[in-house]
Amino acid sequence: MASIKYESQLREPLVYGTKDYHQVTEDICRPIEAKPSKLWYIGFFTSVALLLFGVYSVYREVTYGIGQWNLNKTVGWGWDITNFVWWVGIGHAGTLISAILLLFRQGWRTGVNRAAEAMTIFAVMCAGQFPIFHMGRVWMAFFVLPYPNTRGPLWVNFNSPLLWDVFAISTYFTVSLLFWYSGLIPDFGTVRDRAKTKLRKRLYGIASFGWSGSTKHWQRHEALSLVLAGLSTPLVLSVHTIVSFDFATSVIPGWHTTIFPPYFVAGAIFSGFAMTQTLLLVIRKVYGLQDYITMGHIEAMNKVIVLTGSIVGVAYLTELFMGWYSQNKYEGYTFWYSRANLFSPYGWSYWGMMACNVLSPQIFWFRKFRRNIFITFFMSVIVNVGMWFERFVIIVTSLYRDYLPSSWSVYYSPTIWEIGFYMGTFGLFFTCFFLFSKYFPVIAIAEIKHVLKTTGESYKAKVGHIEEAPMEEFAYKYAHIENTGAHGRGSSGMEHH
Amino acid sequence: MALRERFETPGKMRTWSFGLMAIGVLALILGYIFIGADHGGGEHGGHEVPGSHIFWGTLMYNAEFFLLITNAAMFFICATTLAMGGWQMAFRRVSEAISTLVPIFGVITFVILMVVLFGTHIYHWNSEEAASDPILKGKLGFLNPTFYVIWTTLTIGLWSLLGWRMRKLSAEADAGHMNNEKGASFIWRNTVSASLFIVWFALTVGSTVPWLWNMSIDAHWYSTMYSWYTFASTFVAGMALIAIWVIYLKNKGYLEIVNEEHLHDIGKFMFAFSIFWTYLWFAQYMLIWYSNQPEETVYFWHRVKGPYKGIFFLNLIINFICPLLILMRRGSKRNYTLMTFMAVLILFGHWMDFYQMIIGSISPTHVTWGDYWWFDFGIMGLFVGIMIFGVSRALASKPLVAKHHPFLKESIIHHT
Repeated sequence: MASIKYESQLREPLVYGTKDYHQVTEDICRPIEAKPSKLWYIGFFTSVALLLFGVYSVYREVTYGIGQWNLNKTVGWGWDITNFVWWVGIGHAGTLISAILLLFRQGWRTGVNRAAEAMTIFAVMCAGQFPIFHMGRVWMAFFVLPYPNTRGPLWVNFNSPLLWDVFAISTYFTVSLLFWYSGLIPDFGTVRDRAKTKLRKRLYGIASFGWSGSTKHWQRHEALSLVLAGLSTPLVLSVHTIVSFDFATSVIPGWHTTIFPPYFVAGAIFSGFAMTQTLLLVIRKVYGLQDYITMGHIEAMNKVIVLTGSIVGVAYLTELFMGWYSQNKYEGYTFWYSRANLFSPYGWSYWGMMACNVLSPQIFWFRKFRRNIFITFFMSVIVNVGMWFERFVIIVTSLYRDYLPSSWSVYYSPTIWEIGFYMGTFGLFFTCFFLFSKYFPVIAIAEIKHVLKTTGESYKAKVGHIEEAPMEEFAYKYAHIENTGAHGRGSSGMEHH
Repeated sequence: MALRERFETPGKMRTWSFGLMAIGVLALILGYIFIGADHGGGEHGGHEVPGSHIFWGTLMYNAEFFLLITNAAMFFICATTLAMGGWQMAFRRVSEAISTLVPIFGVITFVILMVVLFGTHIYHWNSEEAASDPILKGKLGFLNPTFYVIWTTLTIGLWSLLGWRMRKLSAEADAGHMNNEKGASFIWRNTVSASLFIVWFALTVGSTVPWLWNMSIDAHWYSTMYSWYTFASTFVAGMALIAIWVIYLKNKGYLEIVNEEHLHDIGKFMFAFSIFWTYLWFAQYMLIWYSNQPEETVYFWHRVKGPYKGIFFLNLIINFICPLLILMRRGSKRNYTLMTFMAVLILFGHWMDFYQMIIGSISPTHVTWGDYWWFDFGIMGLFVGIMIFGVSRALASKPLVAKHHPFLKESIIHHT
């Protein structure tokens, strides 16, 4: 095993500047310890106002019934389920970053994982509202839980993907929350130790569960992280797979297609990264964290966006092609008339989706655009507009013209309370996010310190001479490769020697 | 001290490759006489399909499988290049050597596909039947010989060409030390070439080619997942192939800078993509089973309930249960013997998957392995023989290590 740490000089440092550990702590704790800016108050109260509007919209729906929304005979799912899928999708980036990118050893995840995980949790909270209030009699929502009861034949339907959703999403939420929180514990310890007031010390003390930073604590912390990473990896796939089952197990044209599970997952990661970009671009600017959330991080996320956007693009084209290839009249009608035909009633939504999700992200093939803040910010919003269109296209264009043309006459558009509900989830999301950014370390302090050793600028300068060493000298002198001759396996530490 | 940079093909290896090829040619000749010649029309060992379909179908699935797994090695190179992955540099030349077979297997596949298209009735859509069948008639815009020939030519041609460009670029890393500036431009040119390959790969393996070559055998049936499923199957098998060659070279004392850390990561790919394959398998199967529409379930009917039942479940056991249980442990991914075993198993499993995908559609009522197992294994031997010959030649023609690649040192100290 190699005894040195080394990284090619061609790689950008993950943390800019020549910082030491103390500087890192100072930089990341500053927003928590300083008074919030005016901008923060404006943002926070705007979010709360939106949230209250949402609460009122939901109050109308609960009091007067689902009739407050414009759902109709054919369009039984409309904005509500569109928004549900949209928010769940956004919630995918956090777990992908914390679990999958951990497995792929992508060092850049350390700069963005904390905020992305927080975003995941808030997005899933928003998502959950929609199916719950869509039930109508929301006070009966607990009926979805299978427990011994006296309701006789009123029992959950285990054959229904909607019930699988209940399990998938609640598991996802629980594991994401645990993962996020367990990562926060050492950082809360840091904030506690720096606290100047008694109250602060007490509150962060409780939050840090008595973290002392001892070796034993770190050991357990690392073990827990690994277990949770293992648990969340399948969850990245399972949640949106099951959301896609909500549609794909049916026999509705445009919904029943086998590619849905992986394509939904790719789309979810796509939108999740876009939302992460939107939030991080603001945070790094407002809190002056440009040295931690660097251009390299932004570029890496844009690469994920162009990759997943293109995967989704291949899936769109596959579906469209099969709509024709199947020679199934109903599939053909849905794909080629209700969707791809720009002049059909909802054609605009299909082409909006194509433009936002498939065409525009292609600019990220070019490095210049990947590293441009304004374009990145603009695109991050565009992508999530596109992903909203995608869910709207899937749901409404498959439903609004069913097998009975007499039902077709009603054109579906949302009421103010439907829109209000959606706005309200924005309020919830941003209220939570503003609170998070004020009271929690938005970057994982401990993890940044960990990578500082191998990719900080000062470290890189120190090991520059290794870069110049000839490869053989490097192998034998620095990395201690053993030359065991023709018949040995020629390396150190083989297990079966 | 110096590394052993030159691979010399051992005589034994050459003997093996020629031996396998000889067996393969023998199987080919006997197969043509006993199966392919089609004297009695439909009366071969009780099969309802003409012997020529079985003969050419067997050649077809073998050729496609070996073409796609060797091309998967180039996909692996390009994907890691785009991801700026340094860890795989230590055995990069092995993946490159495997990918040199793409043009060779490409030509073979092309010839076989042309015979299948023009010389047999395996593709229903290319017969008179299509004119009277309204569904097939509607598909002729895609399923027609002209498009088939043009697209197949383009596909194989561009895979070969773009792969060749990547290998040519890689040779520059042998020339001499690269300073930062030179290194950056080298990485940049690699990135551009790799992205061209990846885009073409997505438009072929990721979508059109499996529809055109294989799904169209069941010309009425369709599944949007089909191509991604094919990709997963061949990619995991391609990783297994890389693993086998890396282990072989280690055993012969080459690749000093590769150690169990690298093997562990190859093992992770084999594990992860076995699970990914299963995921796609499940998604496709489950959705078709759940909605239970006859025009879709027809594909699985004889595979699950009919003669292919055994192979259907064996497919899952080999390609899912075994990797799940065996490769899950950290230790097994770092163990040369277990990894060799698993790599062989995965290659066999996905070869069998191709068998059931293609022969399962050509001969739905009869598992041809029952009578003609010698033919299937003989043809497999032919391709394995060519592969061993080709890869060992390619390995011997270039240094085993891309000495001056900017990321090579990262790979030397890599630990997982």
